[in-house]
Amino acid sequence: MSALSNLLIPAVLFFALGFLARVVKSDLRLPPDMAKMLSIYLLVAIGLHGGYELGKADLGTAINSVVWAVILGFTLPVIGYALLLITRKVDTMNAAAIAAHYGSVSAGTFLTAIAYLDNLGISYESYPLIMLAVMESPAIIVGLLLASYSRQKQARASGATNLSVQSGENKQQLTTLLHEAFTNGSVILLIGSMIIGAIAAPSGMQKLYPFINDIFMGVLCLFLFEMGMEAARKIKEFRKVGMVLVVFGMLMPLIGGLLAATVAHLALGFGVGGILLVAVLGASASYIAVPPAMRLAVPEANPSFYLTLSLGITFPFNVVIGIPLYHQLAIQLAGS
Amino acid sequence: MHRLFPKKHVTIITSDVLEDKIIGYIRARGASGYTIVRARGAGSSGEQSGLLDVDTNIKIHIIMPADRLTGLLDDIERLLNKGHHLILFVSDVDVLAPEKFEPSAF
Repeated sequence: MSALSNLLIPAVLFFALGFLARVVKSDLRLPPDMAKMLSIYLLVAIGLHGGYELGKADLGTAINSVVWAVILGFTLPVIGYALLLITRKVDTMNAAAIAAHYGSVSAGTFLTAIAYLDNLGISYESYPLIMLAVMESPAIIVGLLLASYSRQKQARASGATNLSVQSGENKQQLTTLLHEAFTNGSVILLIGSMIIGAIAAPSGMQKLYPFINDIFMGVLCLFLFEMGMEAARKIKEFRKVGMVLVVFGMLMPLIGGLLAATVAHLALGFGVGGILLVAVLGASASYIAVPPAMRLAVPEANPSFYLTLSLGITFPFNVVIGIPLYHQLAIQLAGS
Repeated sequence: MHRLFPKKHVTIITSDVLEDKIIGYIRARGASGYTIVRARGAGSSGEQSGLLDVDTNIKIHIIMPADRLTGLLDDIERLLNKGHHLILFVSDVDVLAPEKFEPSAF
């Protein structure tokens, strides 16, 4: 009962409305760049807000959070990759690309969790925000390493002779992709806004208050409305993906969420709000930063697999079932 | 028809993420320019709605002399062999002002 009423927050309801609009085949069409614009606003607003808070925060805990974010970002894709290979439903290249999505994070899910916490009046630490920024990139690198490892294994198995040529090209590709992983648009926006929020004069930040706070939830509603439509569009393709992968799309967030919540509680000592946010970071799968990177670097993998899983399965799962579940988990952990 | 000159028109439909790479090839192969439009559609990589960056397709038009075509086709073929999803087709066109299609540093 309480779990249901927790979901009755406007942001989640708008997500459901967007989903419904697609299901009933509404003729509603949003302007093509709307989602991109809204996500730019959301990253800047959350970055400024979080940077301002972090400016007053403890440096030791901040560094500790970054270290753990990197560790999680490197560990989660490896777990995902192993799980996917056990299912035997996808080849190694698809497994590498999908795994990278699950090690990275979804800002949309993170912001929904913030709306959820605000609605319940639960306070939360600002450190998970740096973890959000940090966790965008490591998983991309792990995905690339897994893919090039599988590629070499395949080449060796087929007795390819041009292995040295290939590895030279791989190295060059790795440098470009490392560059892209760290200069990715959302990373620049988020980290840049956080720095501005941290160093800007408080009086100047006060003038931005309406921009950062007052309209934030409204914009989030619109964003989630569009993401609901996008999720419904993707979920139609789940037949192509197959039941086993759909189960993976719901099991992997639970594993990632549990692992991340444990880290937040034991290693970082966060309260209920902080644990929930870190759990969401561990549980969520990227659909903004990672797909283009994988498309470029792992062209052998099928985009409709990883997009359907991250956007069509895992994102709705986390919004509707995951967040209240991680909340209960956080209460258990923090209470113990 | 004496004012028109035959050229090759290359059209490439592919994902937004390959734009920089393909432009690099086009420049290196000495085309005089290119035109890119945003595209939506569906195919072997699923529906490309144009709503997210990764879901956005582009359509690239290049007009170039026939003798420069092979190099570009080699480059694109290499991308295809790596597993990238793209479509390329070539058609014959006639252009006014052929000097516009001479290689230049654009």
